[in-house]
Amino acid sequence: MHASEDFLVVIRHAPHNASWLREGLDAALVAAAFGQSVRLLFMGEGALALCKKQQAGAPGQKASLPTIDMLEMYDIDQLNVPERTLNELNLGLESLVDGVSTLTDAQVSALFSQNRPILNF
Amino acid sequence: MTLHILTTAPTSDAARQVEQALNAGDTLLLIEAAVNAALNPQWSCWTQSTYTVLLLEDDLVARGLGDIAKTHQLATVNMDGFVALTEQHEQSVTWY
Amino acid sequence: MDYGLLVMGAPYSDPAPHSALRFAEAVLARGHRLAGVFFYHDGVHNASSLMTPPQDELNLREAWKALHERHDVPLDVCIAAALRRGIVNEAEAARHGHSAYNLEAPFELTGLGQLLTLQQRCDRFITFAS
Repeated sequence: MHASEDFLVVIRHAPHNASWLREGLDAALVAAAFGQSVRLLFMGEGALALCKKQQAGAPGQKASLPTIDMLEMYDIDQLNVPERTLNELNLGLESLVDGVSTLTDAQVSALFSQNRPILNF
Repeated sequence: MTLHILTTAPTSDAARQVEQALNAGDTLLLIEAAVNAALNPQWSCWTQSTYTVLLLEDDLVARGLGDIAKTHQLATVNMDGFVALTEQHEQSVTWY
Repeated sequence: MDYGLLVMGAPYSDPAPHSALRFAEAVLARGHRLAGVFFYHDGVHNASSLMTPPQDELNLREAWKALHERHDVPLDVCIAAALRRGIVNEAEAARHGHSAYNLEAPFELTGLGQLLTLQQRCDRFITFAS
């Protein structure tokens, strides 16, 4: 894990649950469009945003998977999930989209100890 | 050092998540519904000693928990102290 | 120091706007400058000029407006988050064929880029959300 001062966007809300996820991802995309190196940390229920089989919800409720798929086009390739989150949710890495890396407890807390811009959604 | 601000009750998801983000030497400031933590001196954030935990006095008093926090000998700051904390910490993260 | 605030809670549903206003006053009282407030997520409702609380309750929009008038604090509202939630200014109302609008100066509709600029420019950046 490199210790550069990349922009950290933390996603803690699941798809189809208010608009925290969508608006959090929007902020990440805009930061990337501004030339920032963006790292996404999916904590707690936010990890559900990475489920590869998710779909559109109730009529008219947009799916968020297309946005997740778009991250790569914006050069956002750091998709991190705490190991602890996967254990607590009983969610396997194989259920998630490709390119997700897991972090130990120490790696998670280290992300917050470096001086970097952080947005927490 | 980072100032972490928790706005939800100690039983919330956000309260469990901020514990994962805290490092030694950080400060955790409890505001809004997070001041309910004054009721439970056994809460894991009170019983550890690697980071500092403070209650926002205004929110504590508004909820009628000021005396309880005193009984449990929990530290508080007022609004002026809140701003002083943000002066001392270059970085802050809010958990909700 | 220069402070920037991000407000993501709706007025009267959520304590975040009250906390943010109280913090803003305390920041100014300690001699700092408030370089801007950005409203995102449900925080965009703070800008509604149709907000009509009972007389014995603080009108949060008026409180933000007063902060702007006394200290020249820019009040920026995310346009995408606002339009979705029915917070529109005169120009957007005309563009989308609406017969009314509810966002007026000193609140300004702006893009998310403004949030990132504020965060970069300020010495301190504090989020209020509940």
